[in-house]
Amino acid sequence: MQDGVVLTTVDDFLNWGRKNSLWPMTFGLACCAIEMMATGAAKYDLERFGCGAFMATPRRADMMIVAGTVTLKMATRVKTLYEQMAEPKYVISMGSCANKGGPYWQHGYHVLNGVDEVVPVDVYVPGCPPRPESLIEGVMTLQKKIANERLLRNKWVKHA
Amino acid sequence: MHNVDLNQLASLINKNVSGANATVNAAPDAKLDSSVSVEASHIYKVAEWLRSNTELPFNALQAISGVDYLDYMDVCYVLAHFDVDHPRELILKVRVTDRVEPKVDSIMKVYPAADWQEREVYDMFGIKFNNHKDLRRILCPDDWQGWPLRKDYVAQKFYNGMEVYPDNKMNFEDRDFIVRQAMIKKAQETKAQ
Repeated sequence: MQDGVVLTTVDDFLNWGRKNSLWPMTFGLACCAIEMMATGAAKYDLERFGCGAFMATPRRADMMIVAGTVTLKMATRVKTLYEQMAEPKYVISMGSCANKGGPYWQHGYHVLNGVDEVVPVDVYVPGCPPRPESLIEGVMTLQKKIANERLLRNKWVKHA
Repeated sequence: MHNVDLNQLASLINKNVSGANATVNAAPDAKLDSSVSVEASHIYKVAEWLRSNTELPFNALQAISGVDYLDYMDVCYVLAHFDVDHPRELILKVRVTDRVEPKVDSIMKVYPAADWQEREVYDMFGIKFNNHKDLRRILCPDDWQGWPLRKDYVAQKFYNGMEVYPDNKMNFEDRDFIVRQAMIKKAQETKAQ
């Protein structure tokens, strides 16, 4: 009997499940998407962290990696995609463009100055574009963040 | 530009297309490219002749671009002839002086490749192409205001509720620094003269 019992808290159990099966959405906007693909491929193997299952629909995804330049034309689509995702949902902003507009920051009339203008961002990954190691670091940071969530104080539960 | 005697070509255009008024813009430097200018109202006929003639044909359109010179705007056509023995290239220019409602005839029927190229010039410079079958913006959103590559373009403040240059994220001093430096330099130059 003693061998078959594991004691844990509900929070820890749920967070453990969530953080180790983060399914990202198949969604790339520019050159950062190439690095994201490299991260998902054999050499860097995002699957080791439980988030290699790139889902082709926002309905099945837990995490959106905004990989690339968010133009104003695309920003409305990004927002729609974010709204279509089921909760709990997380956003990683990958690369300078998604973080703050990148090289288009000052003179690019067509680029949104940071994707956080339209969707709430959990983790920012700097770089232009970030190497796969950086994205993995970002994912691991997000996993740490999820591990410390409290279910009853959770923003999703509160506003349900 | 390449493998073409532009003077010969200009005289051929003038001979075959009446009123085209083709002139050669000789480059000041051998490294730069010379071009041929024609009347904006005759561009369709010139293109038709350039494609169908037997003396100096051009069977491909490589690119169309616009240039804003503040007083007028140019539309530049880069034509080419893909041929193993006599490959050649040509820059053809037309001048549009009307900035409020600039109009040029479309050459889409002659060179189908002009379809998206003309849409791009329309998108960036607001130059309308007569007889283009589907003249819409190609890069900017359909409801975008203004023509971004014009020299006097000022971006709109908001698009769909999103701020284009949010105050809290901009460093205007830094942004305007280059512009101010250019103005100071220009003022010093005029003063020196």
